[in-house]
Amino acid sequence: MTKKTDAHQASFRDPSGYIFYDGKTLRRAIKPIYFPQYNKLKESGFFKNLISKGLLIPHEETSVSSEEIIITPEEIPFITNPYEWSFEQYKHAALHTLKIQKYALSKGFILKDASAYNVTFHKGKPVFIDTLSFDFYEEGTPWRAYKQFITHFFGPLVLAKYHGTEIFKMMQTHIDGIPVKLISSLLPTRTKLSSVVYPNIHLLAKMESKHSEDYKAETKIATLSKKSQENILESLYDYIKDLTLKEASEWGNYYDKTNYDETAFEAKKTLIKEWIKPLAPQKLIDVGGNDGTFGRTVIDSVPHIIVTDIDSNAVDYNYKQVQKNKETNMLPFVCDVLQPAPGIGFNNTERNSLIERLAEYAPDVTMALALIHHITLSGNVPFEKSASFFASFSKNLIIEFPTRDDSWAQSLLVRKREFINHFDFYNEMEFEKGYLKYFTIEKKETVKGTKRLLYLLKNKNHAS
Amino acid sequence: MNFLYFDPGLGAMIVQAVVAAAAGILLFSKSVMYKVKSFFGLVKEEKDTYDSIDVEEQDTDTDDKKN
Repeated sequence: MTKKTDAHQASFRDPSGYIFYDGKTLRRAIKPIYFPQYNKLKESGFFKNLISKGLLIPHEETSVSSEEIIITPEEIPFITNPYEWSFEQYKHAALHTLKIQKYALSKGFILKDASAYNVTFHKGKPVFIDTLSFDFYEEGTPWRAYKQFITHFFGPLVLAKYHGTEIFKMMQTHIDGIPVKLISSLLPTRTKLSSVVYPNIHLLAKMESKHSEDYKAETKIATLSKKSQENILESLYDYIKDLTLKEASEWGNYYDKTNYDETAFEAKKTLIKEWIKPLAPQKLIDVGGNDGTFGRTVIDSVPHIIVTDIDSNAVDYNYKQVQKNKETNMLPFVCDVLQPAPGIGFNNTERNSLIERLAEYAPDVTMALALIHHITLSGNVPFEKSASFFASFSKNLIIEFPTRDDSWAQSLLVRKREFINHFDFYNEMEFEKGYLKYFTIEKKETVKGTKRLLYLLKNKNHAS
Repeated sequence: MNFLYFDPGLGAMIVQAVVAAAAGILLFSKSVMYKVKSFFGLVKEEKDTYDSIDVEEQDTDTDDKKN
C-alpha cells in the first residue's frame, strides 16, 4: 500500500482524483467517480496510443482497490508554467491540446478541460500531464473546455501577436486564463474583420456577457455535431500554427554585440567545460543562459540542463534549436532573475514559485555567466543578496564577474551618471566579500583576453 | 455521464454553433485555395516544427483523413 506523505497543492480542482507525494515519488489517486472513464480509457487502448505517440505522460498502474486506483506517472524533472514560455513554446502547447482533443473526439472521448497547466515541456517537447482530463463524448454536445481553451491559449497567443510576449505574464495574475472580455478589449479593432478572431473572441465575449445572468441555467444549449466541433478545432489549429509575432522577432544575437572576440569566447567555453567535468553533474542550470550556447558545451555529459533567460526571443531561439537537434535533455524557459515567478493560485501554492521549484530541482551546478553586472548594476541588488539567492538552490556556482574595466560593466556604470559614486562597491573585493558569506572559492581565473573573472564557488551548506 | 466541475460558460457553449459555421466556411475555402495553389505549384513548405493536428495511426483506420 502506498503511503501518502503529502497531497500536491495544485491538485484539488478536479474531483476525479488528486496527486500526492509518496515520499519523493509523485503519484495520482483516482476516485470511484472516475473509474468508468479510467477503465474505458485504459481498455480501449486510448492511453496506450497517446503515450506511444509521446502526447501524454506515461504512467504505470501501482495499485487497484474498490476505493482507489493509484497510478504513477513518469517523473518530470522540472515543471514550467505558461507565463514562463516563449512564443513558440506557447504555440506548441496550444497545438498539442487541440491535437489531443481532436484525437480524443475520434475515439469517443473529450478533453474535459483545456487548462494551459495541463501541458508542460519534457524531453524537448510539449507533453500533456493531466491523465484524468478525459471524459466520454456525448453525441451532439459542444466542447465544454472551449472557453478555457480561448482564455488559456488562443487569447494569450493572439494578444501576443499584437502586444508581444510580455502578455503571457498576465497568466500570473489570471490563473483561470485571461477573461474573454479583456482579451476582446485589448485587441485592435481590425481583428473584428478576422473570420477566426471575430467569432472565437469578440463574439464569444458578447455572448458571455449576454448570458451571464442565466442563474438557473434555463437557456437551452444547442447541439453541435462532431463534424462541426472538428471544424472548430481545425480552424483554431491552422490559425495558431500560422501565428507570428508582430514585433521584430529576430533574436537579438547578443553574442555579436558582446565585447569579447572569438578566442576569448572559446577560452570561456573551454574553462567551463574543464571545471564542470570533475563535478559530473546530473542536473545543471544556466541562469541568464541566452540561447543555450554555454549549456550546450556540456550537453553530451549532463543528463538534464535548464537554460533560462529574460529575453523571450533568446528562449525561442533556444527552443527551436532543441527541436531541430532533437535534444531531449535541454529545457529552456523565460525568467527574470529580478522578478522570478511567484507562487500563485489558492493559498499561493497552486503553482509553485520559481524559487521553490529551483530548490526542489536542486541543480548540481549553477551557471551565472555575464549576469552579475546586470543584477548588481541594473537591478541595484547588493552582492550579499544575490549571493543568498544563488545559495538558496545551488551546490556549485560558476559565476562570471566582469571587473570595472570591462566595457559592458563600464557602460552600465556611466549610465548611472551623477550617482556613479554610489556604485564604488562594484569591485572584485566587495564581490568576494559578499559571496564568501555563503560560498567558498574553489577556483578563480581570468578569462583570457577579457577583463572578466570566472569563479567556481562551493556552497558552504553543501559540504560534500 | 458528464459532470461539470467548472462553469464552461453558457455563452461559450452557444457560440460554438456560430464558430463552427464560420470555421466550416473557412476550411472549405482554404481547401479550395490549396487545390488551386498546388495546381499552379505555389504551395510553400511549412516553417513550424510542430506537425499536423491528426495523430498518425497504424493500428486503426478510424481516424478521419482530411482532403
